[in-house]
Amino acid sequence: MGDFKLTTVEEMEAATNRLLETGAKVGADAWQIRVKNQTPHCKFGEQGICCRICAMGPCRITPKAPRGICGCDAHGIVGRNYLKFTAGGAATHSDHGREICHTLYAADPNGAYKVKDPDKLIRIAKEWGVETEGKDIYDLAHEMAELALMEYGKPFGVQRWLKRAPEHTQKLWHDAEIEPRAIDREVATSLHMTHMGCSSKPEALVRQSLRAGLADGWGGSMCGTEFSDVLFGTPKPIDTEANLGVMNAENVNIVVHGHDPSLSEMVCEYADDPEMIAYAKSMGAKGITVSGVCCTSNEVAMRRGIPMAGNFLQQENVVLTGACEAIVVDVQCIFPALGPLSKCFHTKFITTSPIAQMPDSDYIRFDVGTAAEKAKQIVKTACENFKNRKPELVYIPDMKQKATVGYSLEALVKVLDGVTNSQVDVTGTTKPLLECVTSGVIRGAVAMVGCNNPKVRPDTAHIEMMKKLIANDIVVVASGCSAQAAAKAGLMDKAAKDLCGAGLKRVCELADIPPVLHMGSCVDISRMMILVSELAKDSGLKISQLPVVGCAPEWMSEKAVSIGNYVVATGIDTFLGVDPYVSGSSEMGEWLTNGVRDWVEAAYTVETDIDKLCDKMIERIEEKRTAIGI
Amino acid sequence: MTLFDRVFSGNDAVYGLTEAAIDNAIAQYGADQAVSFPHTAYSLPCYYAVTGTKVANLGELKEALGVVKTLMTREQKLNDAFMSGVATALCAEFIEVLKYINGAEPYAEPYYGHLADAIIRELGVPLVTGDIPGVAVILGKAPSNEEAVELVKSYQAQGILVTLVGDVIDQCVEAGLKMGYALRIVPLGKDVTSVIHVVSVALRAALIFGNVTPGDAGALMKYTMDRVPAFVNAFKPLDDVVVACGAGAIALGFPVVTNETENIFRVPKSLIVQEDVSKFNATSLEARDIKIKITKIDIPVSFASAFEGEIIRKG
Repeated sequence: MGDFKLTTVEEMEAATNRLLETGAKVGADAWQIRVKNQTPHCKFGEQGICCRICAMGPCRITPKAPRGICGCDAHGIVGRNYLKFTAGGAATHSDHGREICHTLYAADPNGAYKVKDPDKLIRIAKEWGVETEGKDIYDLAHEMAELALMEYGKPFGVQRWLKRAPEHTQKLWHDAEIEPRAIDREVATSLHMTHMGCSSKPEALVRQSLRAGLADGWGGSMCGTEFSDVLFGTPKPIDTEANLGVMNAENVNIVVHGHDPSLSEMVCEYADDPEMIAYAKSMGAKGITVSGVCCTSNEVAMRRGIPMAGNFLQQENVVLTGACEAIVVDVQCIFPALGPLSKCFHTKFITTSPIAQMPDSDYIRFDVGTAAEKAKQIVKTACENFKNRKPELVYIPDMKQKATVGYSLEALVKVLDGVTNSQVDVTGTTKPLLECVTSGVIRGAVAMVGCNNPKVRPDTAHIEMMKKLIANDIVVVASGCSAQAAAKAGLMDKAAKDLCGAGLKRVCELADIPPVLHMGSCVDISRMMILVSELAKDSGLKISQLPVVGCAPEWMSEKAVSIGNYVVATGIDTFLGVDPYVSGSSEMGEWLTNGVRDWVEAAYTVETDIDKLCDKMIERIEEKRTAIGI
Repeated sequence: MTLFDRVFSGNDAVYGLTEAAIDNAIAQYGADQAVSFPHTAYSLPCYYAVTGTKVANLGELKEALGVVKTLMTREQKLNDAFMSGVATALCAEFIEVLKYINGAEPYAEPYYGHLADAIIRELGVPLVTGDIPGVAVILGKAPSNEEAVELVKSYQAQGILVTLVGDVIDQCVEAGLKMGYALRIVPLGKDVTSVIHVVSVALRAALIFGNVTPGDAGALMKYTMDRVPAFVNAFKPLDDVVVACGAGAIALGFPVVTNETENIFRVPKSLIVQEDVSKFNATSLEARDIKIKITKIDIPVSFASAFEGEIIRKG
């Protein structure tokens, strides 16, 4: 056992409360306060029965007013709101993927961005039928980038990545008419459908929600993940640390926050530069510590072992330590509150993307062409800010856990190769994992994803469910803020094997892995889609037959809904701990929790009681096992 | 039927037999009748190692069976299968000890049955130094006598201690293979329950050399997994009882290699299906991470430390 001990939510909350005391001293606002101000929430909004898509409204549905002014009923309003929500998420991930494709297009052997995994690029090129023989790798990169960018707006055909799915899944998509065409088209079509006087039939709105989701998971997100690997390297198992204690009081602390690794990779690169370290020293610091928040943190943790300071609802805590010289952000899930908050401290809140501009920030516009010089400027700015630190406000909670991360699909297959027997097995497949599952040693797998949401006690659902799952011999793959919750708690420390049931524990020992596997950022959920596809192909089963489910217990963003839609559409039952604003329509509820099963062999389960949610997942996994006789 | 169901079924079968055997013995000899294995300070070594309790007579043996029953939980989880495997092993030990009741000598040439403490103490040093790089437990009936002998000899040539259970012994005898403890080939017995005598070796090794406290099942299993380089070769057909015994072996960290393909589930590094018996050796060594450095000397006879005790007879 050693001295391994999980960090509890109570301990994390105590640390947060201590930081909030600092905040109170300097008059800082905090999400904890804003939640109180916003509670109770508007019931019409919560149930999804408020519509303001035209200027005749806003309309809301009540027993006395069962229809909006145009005549749309609750089902149509909830359906449209749901599709708009999805479209927002799909657009967000997809634009992130697009930026990566542009970065790939700008890759240059002498430039800031290089091709770090040429083998992966060649593999994808062959998959797409692109001639690779005798071609310069950068010419190939540019050609592939252009092809990928065409996926966003091509006039004809469906997404190239769909071919990675098992044939049965492809057929389901085709028959249900939910194969995503051009990525942007699905987003635009969704917004068209939700315009006043277009679609108000739940069936049609749900169908397009799945298609827009698939355009994300099997389009935009997959582009983001695959080409990020090409540019920055495919993740391999690597040791790192998580929680606020990774910040170093004696160093210049730069926190990267947001999503796109094009920025965070460059910041990490320059923070490592001897010239910059010397510069930090000249400013009175001992060195430079880069840590991360949210998905860009996941990206650099997976590839560089950069420590993870925290997840979504911890972003303000980073500044509250008083030891953050700069919080550098790009896009998505960045609290605009960071602007005013940073003004209470010496912290520089540096925004970098024209997509995400915020008041009270230093805007250092970052683009591929000037990446190196801008990254250097950012690091320099942070170093120069060290001397402005107010020592009386500095408090870094002394809590962190070890984590082993970096489990890309490629890395997982390599881990699995490690437990094969060269006398009987082939390598390079998911078969050893399937054998563990079919024999019952591992009961199944849960993909834990998603955000934090103040509606759920932050991180509790993630951590408590994971603990229960691994104790029941269910392996957990995690991404996003769920993965960071696991890392903060210590569930990604290999020593956490002692919390597992005998089966999973044995697997962790033999394969030398932690029981919760970090597969990356939110776009990296596409890795999970490829993983289940490989499992289905290697087993000869349908994806929907595998004892695998998805779960977003603390979700909050539109992206999470888009993700949920493509996970369900891929054939994986998905469990939500927060209602997606559909409780106002029985028809929409029926479609999402049951009706879509006819198309894609999977559906949603919504359960806000986290303990019950977990039991339902375990139950579903066992049902699936029974159904295939294992 | 799931793999775990097979384990549970085999466990239930052995438990039933054990219960009947103990009840019969009590009816015949009375509950105060002493039970023990010869030449051991560890009572019923497996039961003692797992529970920390010594068993002196039939009445206590009956009580011990009640303890074994508590291990036989029936959830579809590896822990349950492991514990049922351990329970099966303990039942086997009970059945075997009954054979020794009243000073009986149940095993005779070529069978060894229970192995004395002295043998384990003697084995300890070569096991630690790696002179004995592994312990093979071969069980069942090989496809042919030749394949049986070839497999046994292949291990013998690597200095691996080979223990045999069941029909494979007859096969080796028929083929004229020289066997015996001095040659590191130990035929244990014909009944599948006699496999417990090699388990007993592993567990006494943990108590003697590993300083494991009797009753500390966790430390015991960790020691056998980390330090006792044993593995099982089980020939088809595998019945549920053998599968249940296999679960016990895997629980201790010993992989099982079999040529059974019917109704079996593969488990990486633990339950490996190798249809080609000639590859059992290589498959097993890899599964148990046994690495043998061999300097091949090109001579017309076999050469290994296993032949050190060989006696050359006249003629």
